[in-house]
Amino acid sequence: MEEFALIFGYIYQYLDNIGFLILAASGLIIIFGMMGVINMAHGELMMIGAYITAFTYYAGVPAPIAILLAGVGAGIAGIILERLVIRFFYKQLLSSLVVTWGLSLMFSQGFLLIFGPSILNIPTPFGNFPIDEQTFGIYRLVLFGISMAMIAGVWAVFTFTRFGTHARATMEDPEMADALGVNTRHVYALTFGLGSALGGIAGGMFALTATISPFFGINYTPLAFITVVVGGGANVITGLLASVLALAGSQTLVNNLVNVYVGYLGMMGTALIILLVLPRGISEYLERRKIRTERASGRE
Amino acid sequence: MPGETDTPIIEVRDLVKNFGGVRAVAGLDMSIYPGELHCIIGPNGAGKSTLFKLVMGIQRPSAGTIFYQGRNVTRLKPFERARLGLAIKFQAMEVYQELTVFQNLFIPLRRHHRPKQIPEQAAHLLEQLHLAGTEEKLVSNLSHGQQQWLAIGMSMAVRPEVLLLDEPTAGMSPEEVSETARIVKDLNAGGTTIVVIEHDMAFIRNLDSRTSVLHYGKLFAQASFGEIEQNEDVHRIYLGTM
Amino acid sequence: MNSKGSALDKYLGLLNGPQTMGRGLPFWLGFLAIVAALALGPEFLSRYQIINFSNFLISGFMALSLCLIWGYCGVLSLGQAAFFGVGGYAYGVVAINLLNAHGNTDIAFIAGIIIPVVFAAIVGGIMFYARLRGVYIAILMLVISLVIGTFMRQTADPDYTIGAAYLGGMNGLRPDSPDDPLLPSLIFGFGQTIQEFDGRSVSFYYLTLGLLVAVYLGLRCLVNSSYGYFLVGCREDPERTETFGYDVRRIQLSVFCISAAIAGLAGTLYTAWGTYIHPDGFGVAQNILVVIWVAVGGRKDLSAALIGALVLEWVSLRLASEGEYALLVMGAILVSVMLLAPTGVVTTISDVIERLRTNRAQAEGAKAPEIRKP
Repeated sequence: MEEFALIFGYIYQYLDNIGFLILAASGLIIIFGMMGVINMAHGELMMIGAYITAFTYYAGVPAPIAILLAGVGAGIAGIILERLVIRFFYKQLLSSLVVTWGLSLMFSQGFLLIFGPSILNIPTPFGNFPIDEQTFGIYRLVLFGISMAMIAGVWAVFTFTRFGTHARATMEDPEMADALGVNTRHVYALTFGLGSALGGIAGGMFALTATISPFFGINYTPLAFITVVVGGGANVITGLLASVLALAGSQTLVNNLVNVYVGYLGMMGTALIILLVLPRGISEYLERRKIRTERASGRE
Repeated sequence: MPGETDTPIIEVRDLVKNFGGVRAVAGLDMSIYPGELHCIIGPNGAGKSTLFKLVMGIQRPSAGTIFYQGRNVTRLKPFERARLGLAIKFQAMEVYQELTVFQNLFIPLRRHHRPKQIPEQAAHLLEQLHLAGTEEKLVSNLSHGQQQWLAIGMSMAVRPEVLLLDEPTAGMSPEEVSETARIVKDLNAGGTTIVVIEHDMAFIRNLDSRTSVLHYGKLFAQASFGEIEQNEDVHRIYLGTM
Repeated sequence: MNSKGSALDKYLGLLNGPQTMGRGLPFWLGFLAIVAALALGPEFLSRYQIINFSNFLISGFMALSLCLIWGYCGVLSLGQAAFFGVGGYAYGVVAINLLNAHGNTDIAFIAGIIIPVVFAAIVGGIMFYARLRGVYIAILMLVISLVIGTFMRQTADPDYTIGAAYLGGMNGLRPDSPDDPLLPSLIFGFGQTIQEFDGRSVSFYYLTLGLLVAVYLGLRCLVNSSYGYFLVGCREDPERTETFGYDVRRIQLSVFCISAAIAGLAGTLYTAWGTYIHPDGFGVAQNILVVIWVAVGGRKDLSAALIGALVLEWVSLRLASEGEYALLVMGAILVSVMLLAPTGVVTTISDVIERLRTNRAQAEGAKAPEIRKP
């Protein structure tokens, strides 16, 4: 029974870390992976989601609806940002990095002015279950489940819907898509908005486990970015999954062997090593292998 | 004409380059001899530009070996090959758009000259390239043809043994094309081995050199341009463009 | 070109060149006037203002260090404060350990510059030779800075000591003895002569001003030398530059190390100025401010970046006295400048002046033959 609790504890932590990274990165894979824009204000969009969740929740709205509202709010904020600022920086990677960092500073400092440094908390729902002498929060498993659903949803939207087809065409070749009658301006704005909305939902869900403050965002942006970069752009979804499995794995392992801080370092170290070996991310490598095996089997 | 008995200055053996599922260069064997002026032609996608990138080291071959002056350079980095005497002018990347003509020339000229000698050397080069007196102009204010000449001049400025030119006449007027042919022939007469990728047949006819035809990443034919022009098989793959 | 200007150009040699704005007599007179005004500052500024001005000048080093790698070589680092913090901690740790034995902080001062360089050589070596994309380098540097900051925050445990120095977690670095919580000021010793530069003194202000002018002029020479051309070549087109036979990675790594040395010097001066260094030195605010100064002033020119830092630091201080919105305004300034004057405010103004001058010269040139006509 003790061994079972121990093993379950590891698996539980692993799933928790996976869910965390996927949620943090899911909005960014759309914005960076597909649009090639680095949004340093992604964490602040999550913060907006967290605040919306907290305020609507305390106004009496049930938590799931509060979280959806967070998605809507962050999505609208994202579309406004895209129209006002981001669209001028599509072909300039380093400049987009700098300008979105400026936006991130404006958001966190603006919220600090308006709401003060005080920290908000929302009770975590669903309670706990015990195994042996340890207790485990149910909500963490719910987060994991939702993160999986989110990935599946993103995949489905970009594979099956008309918007998805237009979006992929636009990312592939904007001029050609434009010539074929796709309203590329709308596609850019909506794609950015969708990424922001996912960030807002993630922020709303983290709001139920983490403390909410104007500096909420900085905990997530670098992590989300590293997760996406390690995944690479060749196939954002398989890339994200592979990257999350590796990073969460190393984090869980080192975490248990040493401590939380070193676990975080272990994850960063793993990310760095993967990037040094595969500068274009895991998915690029997977795609290359796939092509190679296909050709090998085709020749026989 | 250099004889085939000389040691090749560049030799590639069984050279292969795959991009995903596409085989751009497919087991190519080819030699370039010292002092030669050599043209490479072939339909789009024949692997010409890829061959140049592999020789310069910008891309790594999937398989095969590259020799320079008898030495295996397959694993050397681009700057190491450049120091051995290779230079290139690519199809797209050629000049530093935001800098002046003088700044553009300074960077390659500094390889073999002291800073004090550079103004004189730059003026001399610009003279040869019909760009005299443009030192302080921004490159973006030059015409397309002038930018191409400057790009060739920048590659000449490092005094290479071998110069690889990828489509030097792209976008030029007929007068500019014949002027470019003169520049290339002058440079070759000065002892530099030159390999040219071109689509402009008037230009290649003007150069009248040994010519290789690439097709699907392989050497399809090699002869003097006169013979290539008469070759029925070449006509078939290259239909209508000659 | 007027003859006075070109004679001066010859005289000043490398200080003037295509890689820096501002040439000829008017620019250098203006430069001398600014330096003179700063040098006369202690005559008409209060002691408190001089202490603040010392800190502004320290920011100038940070702006120059980022401008060098980002503006000239095209390598953006969002974590320039990592070198600042490492320099500050290195100075503090060495000074605490050696001050009593040596009676000066010469070695600590050098350590505050050299240790960031070693750090940059390791980190940069890995990043450049792995051919990481520019954006990844920019963000990795930020992550590295934040990770060091997080590490330093959790060093409150008394076990975290280096010799006589206690890392101190959130309270910042200090000596491992209860009686003196402060870090040593800069004390230079040459043989028997010993000169202390207390951070609150006018002498420290002059030391910082002198070093800043020296670093500025030194960098001007550097970017207008052949090396400066290579830097610009790496920025404009690294692949093309490599085909001329230049080892682009080595050029990038070397300039990264020079930049780290300047940022380390800033960290050293900062630590000596306030006699303390804190994990916040590695934080987001420290890092983003450097980017703001350089982007707003003008990243492609040393003078523009330096002016950006000095002016914005002054603005921040004025805003800080009004309320808590200095950083919000800085963010807004950054975003507006990126949208309206992407090359930077100082650079844009200087371009406009340049254009007006050439237009006027052309207009006069065009008029001349008309006068002759009748």
